[in-house]
Amino acid sequence: MGLMQTSRVKSPWILHFDNSSCNGCDIEVLACLTPLYDVERFGMVNMGNPKHADILLITGPVNRRTARVLKNLYDQVPDPKVVVAVGTCASTAGVFHNCYNILGGVDKVIPVDVYVPGCSVRPEAIIDGVVMALQKLASL
Amino acid sequence: MIDEMMAIAILLPVAAGLLILAIRNYYARNVVVVATSIALIVNSVLLSINGPFTYTPEGVNWGLFITILDYAILLFYLYIGFTLRNWLVVIFAFTQLVPLAYFEFIMKAHLELSPAFVVDHLSLVMTLIISIIGSLICIFALRYMYDHEHHAHLTKSRQSRFLFWLVLFLGAMNGLVFANNLFWLYFFWEVTTLCCYQLISHDRTQEAINNAARALWMNATGGTAFILAIIYLYVTQGGSSALSLQTLIGGGIQASVVLLPVALLCYTGFTKAAQMPFQSWLLGAMVAPTPVSALLHSSTMVKAGVYLVLRLAPAFAGTYLSIAIAIAGAFTFFATSALAISQTTGKRVLAYSTIANLGLIIACTGINTPLSVAAAILLIIFHAISKGLLFLCAGTIEHQIWSREIEDMEGLAAKAPLTTLITAVGILSMFLPPFGMLLGKWIALEAAYMVPLAAILFVLASTLTIVFWTKWLGRLLQVLPKLGWPLERLSLSYSAPLWTLLIGIFAVGIGVGPIYQNFLLDATNNVVSGNQIFAIGWNNLVLTSASFIQRDILGLFPIWPLYLILVVALLLPLLLIGLKPTELRPVYLCGEQVGGTDTDEWSAEADQKTKFLLGGYYFQSSLGEKKVNPWANTIAIVLLVIMIGCGVIVIC
Amino acid sequence: MLEQFILVFATLVGAPLAGGLLFGIDRKITARLQGRYGPPVIQPFYDFFKLLGKEHIAVSRLQFIWIYGYLVFMVVSLIFLVLKSDILLLVFLLGFAGVSLVLGGFSTKSPYAHFGANRELLQIMAYEPVLLLFAIGVYAQNGSFLISEIFKQDKPLLFSLWPLFLAVLYVLTIKMRKSPFDIATSHHGHQEIVKGVTTEYSGPYFALFHLAEWYEIVLLLGIISLFWANPLWVGILIALVAFLLELLVDNIAARMTARWMVRLSWSIGLLLGVINIAYIYLTKGVS
Repeated sequence: MGLMQTSRVKSPWILHFDNSSCNGCDIEVLACLTPLYDVERFGMVNMGNPKHADILLITGPVNRRTARVLKNLYDQVPDPKVVVAVGTCASTAGVFHNCYNILGGVDKVIPVDVYVPGCSVRPEAIIDGVVMALQKLASL
Repeated sequence: MIDEMMAIAILLPVAAGLLILAIRNYYARNVVVVATSIALIVNSVLLSINGPFTYTPEGVNWGLFITILDYAILLFYLYIGFTLRNWLVVIFAFTQLVPLAYFEFIMKAHLELSPAFVVDHLSLVMTLIISIIGSLICIFALRYMYDHEHHAHLTKSRQSRFLFWLVLFLGAMNGLVFANNLFWLYFFWEVTTLCCYQLISHDRTQEAINNAARALWMNATGGTAFILAIIYLYVTQGGSSALSLQTLIGGGIQASVVLLPVALLCYTGFTKAAQMPFQSWLLGAMVAPTPVSALLHSSTMVKAGVYLVLRLAPAFAGTYLSIAIAIAGAFTFFATSALAISQTTGKRVLAYSTIANLGLIIACTGINTPLSVAAAILLIIFHAISKGLLFLCAGTIEHQIWSREIEDMEGLAAKAPLTTLITAVGILSMFLPPFGMLLGKWIALEAAYMVPLAAILFVLASTLTIVFWTKWLGRLLQVLPKLGWPLERLSLSYSAPLWTLLIGIFAVGIGVGPIYQNFLLDATNNVVSGNQIFAIGWNNLVLTSASFIQRDILGLFPIWPLYLILVVALLLPLLLIGLKPTELRPVYLCGEQVGGTDTDEWSAEADQKTKFLLGGYYFQSSLGEKKVNPWANTIAIVLLVIMIGCGVIVIC
Repeated sequence: MLEQFILVFATLVGAPLAGGLLFGIDRKITARLQGRYGPPVIQPFYDFFKLLGKEHIAVSRLQFIWIYGYLVFMVVSLIFLVLKSDILLLVFLLGFAGVSLVLGGFSTKSPYAHFGANRELLQIMAYEPVLLLFAIGVYAQNGSFLISEIFKQDKPLLFSLWPLFLAVLYVLTIKMRKSPFDIATSHHGHQEIVKGVTTEYSGPYFALFHLAEWYEIVLLLGIISLFWANPLWVGILIALVAFLLELLVDNIAARMTARWMVRLSWSIGLLLGVINIAYIYLTKGVS
């Protein structure tokens, strides 16, 4: 791996976006930052800003309102970037799948690279998903 | 030869002015103004090459002529005061008229003096500034006034009258900086006040007339102090020889006597330089058409006040008066810089910045070391160029967007890329290293430790300066002109002065070392005799030992390397094509933005498209005029009283 | 002359390495203080190279020029320090580096960047006078603004300028963008108005910002080490202790409002400076 690939793998900056989740997955995402899991060990940092992000971490199913926002944020993340759908809802819309206002999983709006199923997802699974995403990022 | 040159410097503007007044044709008038300007510029350069000289005009009885005109001007003040029912103007016209009449008719004073004019290097520096920058502003005014009247839908053109006073101003200023006879100096002083009144009130609106009247009475208090100083000198010294400026500053009069008139004259200088608490007249002058502001702020009027204080510096060197002047000037620098932050109008920011810089110059004069006087002279020059340019830019912008508000200048680059660029460089030249203004400020700060209080005020003020300039610049440069956007077409009357001044900023800034060495050093020595304070290597400005300091080197300012860095900083991005943005994306608005790259819309509640507005901080509540002025003016008045008190105490 | 060139070159290469490492140590120590393990010490370099490899997107073309100006003026200030030139001019240049960053924020139509830029301007207003007073304090003590004069003195500046030292420590917190003064933009683990003035910088342009910050931290610690210039290693030790102190403050302090920052700086910071200079003036006079 060259310097650039190594750097990419070692420094994933994350943008966490909540579509219309029940907040279960969001809490687990934030749990990753706590001393118990401490994802900053791997250089992962939660950025509040798509312009600085490499990995888009999305929770919850896409509804008619958030679809536009999600698309906009995705467009603002500079390449190379990967998208991780966190939780069953983000992957497939889960229990909300036939609600009147729900479009479906994240992949209905933007291309998804890694699906992390679970309701709600365990932090280990999220970290695992991000690591998988990093492998993809390195190959980009 | 000298005869002709003096005549061109002082009398040609008068003659040309009268001619302009008679000509009603736009083009013919332009030819006259341009010809006069060129004559004045060439003449000032020739004068400088010729070097210092003394001169007394012969032939006509000029003394009588000046006396008559003096009374005419003062009676005209009275007339203005009565017609406007402005009793302050009447009172201060009387306070000049009565002592003057008493002086001449009861005391039968003899006011002839030889030499009447003493032109030294300082005068030459001043006349260069007046003639070159003043003339450029006159040329700018040609087209500006045409547009101005066009926009105001005037049926009867008053451009002739305007240009008459504008050109006359230059002649009066030239006379002012040459005069050695204090009484003649007083006359030229009054002519500039008169011109100023006429130009401010030019638009004939109620506001313009009120502001002009305020300028008149404030300057008339200065005139009164001037007259009193003349009479005091005449009485105590018994004779017209006391009226020689050179005797006054040359130590020809004993120190116990000289300080009171000098303090009074400094007060006069303060009124004309619009130092606090007199700043309101210069701000009021903003109602006038922009060339007036440009002229008042850069080369004439206020610079006359600074010139007088600087000229008198040897007379108060080493006294408490000197320290009082330094602190009063530094306080003005500080207070007006703070006030400038709260201003939303471009021209008012410029006005406050002018007053601030004049305060800095006066403070430098008060510190009164070779170093600080050098800083003062450099600041006069650089300030004249940069501020002249900025006012002309403000005028150009005003005629493109018909607004003076800073917030309205957002996205100006789309309408007027060229003007925006020139304005941006002008603003940068006010506070960016290595440009001249910062160089002057740097020297001033290095010299300021002699009066620590002034040094501390300098520090605070120069910080505040950064804030208001940056704010304006940010607004101006929010949109960058794209390649391929059409440049706006400026009339030659606009563009020629703008480009000349822009080039001037760089030429004088880069060449400041040699210019100082060959020319300005002599001017410094006219004020304070010091050692060589600049040692110049191939590129460095090194402040070396003045008499008071033990060390060899005080500070170092590498001019050319810094300009080189500036060029590199500007050019390298062009070379780094690899780092050029490949794509522009919209700004981050939490993903709610609507539209493409340049959007300023987002979808608010119920998917309503809403525009957002951006703006700077103005701190109206904490730094606004209403909040600051009362205490700032009080402190300024106390400082003024202390200043004059310093003159009085010596006598007692 | 050749020595100077080597020195400048060494600074250009060495300063970012040292600065990057300092920021890595910063993140490590902060993590340890929070009971976490923390990223590797060379993490800032990974971040830097990753950012360089990102897509070149911007909001306006002007942004690039200003962030570049920020970097250039920061480097020039550092070179002034290394060449032991005029400290007053150094402070002016440092101020203009800050101005470039502000203008970079203003050159976008982004509300967050504007907030950040306005606050950065307030930060300049807060730290610039203290640094200028420090320069004057140096002059008061040494009779020269040249940094090389400081090195010729046997007695460290700290003895006579300790109030100014405290004020400069205060400035260090502002310049390092650490709590309680990380109001214009903040480091990892903090967020204020998104990322403030740097919100709209992405990819390589953000990398340039980091690079400038690395130069900046070296410059600031260099200025602090001037307080004990003879022998210099004591000064560097003091600077490093100051750096660690800032990390501690960062982790135990909450964020202040911009208004409070300016107020504190203009009251306590300036008071310390003024008292210090007044004391030297009264005891030493103008010499």
